[in-house]
Amino acid sequence: MSEQVVIVGFGPVAARLVDELLPAVRSGSLNLTVVGAEAEAAYNRVLVADLGVGRTTADALALSDADALAAEGVDVRLGVRVRRVDRARQQVLLSDGAVAHYDRLVFATGSRPVIPNLTGINPDPTSPVLPAGVTALRDLRDAEVLRQAVDGGKRVVVLGGGVLGLETALAAAEEGATVTVVHNGPHPLGRNIDRGGGAVLAASLRRCGVRMAGNARSTGVEHNGADGGFSALLLDDGSAIDGDLLVISCGVRPRTELAEGCGLSTSAGILVDHRLRAHHEPHIFAVGDCAEVRCPDPDCARCRNAKGPSGLVGPGWRQAEWLAEYLTLLASAAPAAAELLPELPAEQAGVIVLKARGMNMAVAGDNTAEPWDEEILTAGAVNGRPRLQIAQWADPEHGRYVKMTTRGGVLEGIVAVGMPRTAAELVGLFERGAELPADRSLLLRLDGPDQLPGSAADPQGTVCRCAGVSGAVIAGAVEEGCSTVAEVSKATRAGTGCGGCHEDIKGLIEKHFQAVSTSSPAAPNLPGPDRRPAIERVEACALTQEPLE
Amino acid sequence: MTKSADTHCPYCALQCAMTLTSPAALAPASQPGSVPVSAPPAAGRPGLGTPGQAPLEVSGRDFPTNRGGLCRKGWTSAALLNHPGRITEPLLKGADGVHRPISWDHALDLAASAVKAARARHGRDSVGVFGGGGLTNEKAYMLGKFARLALGTSRIDYNGRFCMSSAAAAGMRAFGVDRGLPFPLDALDTASTILMLGSNVAETMPPFVQHLKGTRDAGGLVVVDPRRSATAAFTADGGGLHLQPLPGTDLALLLGISHVVIHENLVDTTYLEERTSGYSAVARSVNSFWPERVQSITGVPAELIRETARRLAEGARKGGSYILTGRGVEQHVDGTDTATAAINLSLLLGLPGSARSGYGTLTGQGNGQGGREHGQKADQLPGYRKITDPAARAHVAKVWGVPENLIPGPGLPAVQLLQSLGKPDGVRCLFVHASNIVVASPDANAVINGLRSLDFLMVCDFFMSETAAEADLILPVLQWAEEEGTLTNLEGRVLRRRRALTPPAGARSELWIMARLAEALEAPSTYSEDPETVFEELRLASAGGLADYSGIDYAMLDRGEAAYWPYPSGSNGTPRLFQNKFAHADGKAVMTPVTPRRRRTPAGTPVGDATAPGAKTMTLITGRLLEHYQSGAQTRRVAELLEARPEARLQLHPAAAAAMGITEGVLVSVANERGEVLCRAELSTAIRPDTVFLPFHFPELESANRLTEAATDPISGMPEFKFNKVWVRPAATPVSTNVLQTTEAS
Repeated sequence: MSEQVVIVGFGPVAARLVDELLPAVRSGSLNLTVVGAEAEAAYNRVLVADLGVGRTTADALALSDADALAAEGVDVRLGVRVRRVDRARQQVLLSDGAVAHYDRLVFATGSRPVIPNLTGINPDPTSPVLPAGVTALRDLRDAEVLRQAVDGGKRVVVLGGGVLGLETALAAAEEGATVTVVHNGPHPLGRNIDRGGGAVLAASLRRCGVRMAGNARSTGVEHNGADGGFSALLLDDGSAIDGDLLVISCGVRPRTELAEGCGLSTSAGILVDHRLRAHHEPHIFAVGDCAEVRCPDPDCARCRNAKGPSGLVGPGWRQAEWLAEYLTLLASAAPAAAELLPELPAEQAGVIVLKARGMNMAVAGDNTAEPWDEEILTAGAVNGRPRLQIAQWADPEHGRYVKMTTRGGVLEGIVAVGMPRTAAELVGLFERGAELPADRSLLLRLDGPDQLPGSAADPQGTVCRCAGVSGAVIAGAVEEGCSTVAEVSKATRAGTGCGGCHEDIKGLIEKHFQAVSTSSPAAPNLPGPDRRPAIERVEACALTQEPLE
Repeated sequence: MTKSADTHCPYCALQCAMTLTSPAALAPASQPGSVPVSAPPAAGRPGLGTPGQAPLEVSGRDFPTNRGGLCRKGWTSAALLNHPGRITEPLLKGADGVHRPISWDHALDLAASAVKAARARHGRDSVGVFGGGGLTNEKAYMLGKFARLALGTSRIDYNGRFCMSSAAAAGMRAFGVDRGLPFPLDALDTASTILMLGSNVAETMPPFVQHLKGTRDAGGLVVVDPRRSATAAFTADGGGLHLQPLPGTDLALLLGISHVVIHENLVDTTYLEERTSGYSAVARSVNSFWPERVQSITGVPAELIRETARRLAEGARKGGSYILTGRGVEQHVDGTDTATAAINLSLLLGLPGSARSGYGTLTGQGNGQGGREHGQKADQLPGYRKITDPAARAHVAKVWGVPENLIPGPGLPAVQLLQSLGKPDGVRCLFVHASNIVVASPDANAVINGLRSLDFLMVCDFFMSETAAEADLILPVLQWAEEEGTLTNLEGRVLRRRRALTPPAGARSELWIMARLAEALEAPSTYSEDPETVFEELRLASAGGLADYSGIDYAMLDRGEAAYWPYPSGSNGTPRLFQNKFAHADGKAVMTPVTPRRRRTPAGTPVGDATAPGAKTMTLITGRLLEHYQSGAQTRRVAELLEARPEARLQLHPAAAAAMGITEGVLVSVANERGEVLCRAELSTAIRPDTVFLPFHFPELESANRLTEAATDPISGMPEFKFNKVWVRPAATPVSTNVLQTTEAS
């Protein structure tokens, strides 16, 4: 009999899980039901801000097609919530009154925006009712609200200096809105970035037309807009930042109440082990933003420093891929094989790459240490563990800043602002745990104009690569009397392949005749009776060249 | 003897046009660009001109692909015609391991007996054939027929499996047909944007570069290569963009570019609607590859990914946009999917089949195109027919005059075929034609062991290649200038190869050899030794197939007609494919969603002293040098080329070298669980500090394929040539320098 798998939630992570389970659905070993609260099948939430500024379309955001899935045999329920999970009967009760049995249940309920406690906004954290002109920019409807503001050239206030807030602010500013970012602390991105990087980042944002209001504590919203909509964000110093739309971007919090309601252990998220199983409940799993990987074993070294859900989609997709394989094996004819599957690998610290057109930034890991903080650098260096090393480059005038925090040559932290290729390279090195070149400045030069033809030493000074002819051989041929590219080609084969070196050959001929005409009035090597100036002759022969180009 | 012959270069698929002239018939320096070719003295054949000079003079000939240009390999090609290492008699290996001449009668008897013995003891599939992309169409066709009817085996495949199989599979899947370039090469001349992925034409087919000039001048050349290759360097000074993805991440990069095309609304919606199917699934699948995420995977900055998408879209509206793939992106275990991603991108932009744009793959071997059409592939019959298609079998059986059930079913793709050598149910008796598998196959050490466990190995070659040296029996065959035939170049244009020289008395064409063996084996059907007669049969066999040659004949080619297949009888051929429809039944191109499924870093197991202190793990990529071709069996015998590139060198970054105490020219060990290469280091900033590059043209201690993995693409059977883990260190044991000298033929 085939296994019944029910997935609660239909966001990007659930979509990946469904896709990966399709082969098992097709083979009939697994029945799959997916329950989504939104009216749409999964779409790419990461790009909601892009949709909000008109840079993409709702169609292009789709990650799943409900009809196509139904045709494959997946039971897709949209616009339906799970009210309750009955673990004893292995059932879920849905908001439309239906009941669905499960053999395996997967929570993919994701997260919801954190709504700060502001006067003028309903404080109920699970179902905040946002007044007109305030949005948390989470779903397609929120995007539509932002879209109208941007199209109307309105004033947008972004509350929160996290990466999503900055991306929204940059995109909206580029598309014509007047944007102010209001954030705590001296610079945006808080503890993800260090002081130097934060300062360069803030300056770069300003250069892109975003107003930055730092060290600000907001206390409430004012509704004096048309139809009682948002008109200003109030700060604790008594000032106010006027605007037409407030975008709240204060982070997300896992949706765990359904899991809590059925008695599962939760912390920041639903607690799961290294096989994504809920604690002490072999039939229930959790993936993505709602899941917190922290196993019940108190001695587990991997879990000692485990953090809560990252809020990034990459780890969720990796979990979905792993879980699909596991569930497929469990549903197969030989379920014992599932336990042979290696556990889900530990996630590295998340990498934050700013999605923006006008500027470039990447941060990852711990960047708090400064090059001169001897105490911090040596703090962890015990039992032969190397100390932290910091390499840093700051050019705030040009909006460039890089900091590499390494231990034993391997990155533990990255800040890169305004250095696209360096950022890309560092992120790759960070994710693979690869060792940096000992000369760190190599990484800084990736964005420099000197990173050009780095071919191997060429002692012969090859001019024509195709035929392998050196400058010396060509010069020799010119000495011998060749005075046109065609003649040099005939004598040496230089220029007889792709023809790309004809200009260089011409240059060598010119050089020869210039030297001859300046150094020796007798010009013993000048061939024939032709006494025209060298440059003229070269031009003339260029016109009569063989049709090689 | 012919005084002068218009033919084409013996090497790559560009098939540069050349004229071969006997020195006697030459007025001194009468031909523009023509240069006498030097060759080692002591020619073995009478009447081959003065010692120390090649028997023929090579000159470039004007032709749309090469426009009179030749590279160094072409210019020096005639030097091999009177090379002292030429094999001119059948050679039999004695018990002492020494090859000694025997008569042709004796040799053919031995070969026929070996086939009969293997069949009797182990069944028909214990006899195998390994072909090559350098064979003429006539020989490739006949080899497929010979294997299936005369040997009665399904076990035939060829070295094109290592080159074109991924792009071919992707092309078949998307377009319903696989012609490398479905447009004439000179169509590139006026393009605004060309995206070139994993192809280093500046080294591999230099005269090709002429066709990039217009695009470079327009600033529209986009080269994707982890190395700053000679081709990538063309993007400098405003020529375009160089994207340097981490090795093994090309697929993600292509999905990222497609993502931008969709999200920035650069798609050609009318085209997608009218000419393709499968768009929405592909759009959903690339949705999760936004540029910043792809930047994290590939190391290519998001802005360059966006810029590439925009340039392609803009180019399509202006002078045209082309997307071209090469082995760099195809020779992977996900090579078919990567080529598919490139095709999907081209379809999103509406390029294939439009008037000024397109997608193509750059075929590598001389007859890499024709060689993959006429039946030397394990799953194929002539005319690019499927061996499993009953209608195809019936058609071919009729042309061959045999009952259909005499044609075996599909065999094994190359890697699996080679892995079966000497195994109980595997191949016990192998014929090798136009291929140097000891050097060219992945996991070469395992292949050598396989060859040594065979009951009988026969190799047809004109030099003592590393594979021939393993053979029980070597049959001497003809070189290019000694034979007639046709080849199909990278554009799908059929060309004539013409004889300019009388072959050595003891050498024979493979057609003759197959005819004699078929006779000895009392095979059904006929086996002509005359190329034109064979071509006439190929015409009939290909008629109605995808690669239909039925309207082409020698006379037409001799008139210089540009014959692009499909060329059904009564038509004028097809210079540009897909103008009205694709080759699937509904006329539409099929878009298939693909997604990366591979490990981020290559796998490998440290063994022995590979991990000695100071050894660093690196990603190995392999490729070509300008001076050499394929396994180097020919070009390493040309004095000028050998002198220019006498040995393999490991390219590595100075920063990586410094960390290991390696300096320019010192010996290094490059090793993994499959083998070890010892060679000198060549420092270059053109490569990433965590990646090394080895050319694959060299044998023995310098053989790059001792390190490559025989894992294969599940669809195409292509092995993983360009993403392998190695340990690099300064060579611990001093190796005497003569070991590193590339061995000349004895």
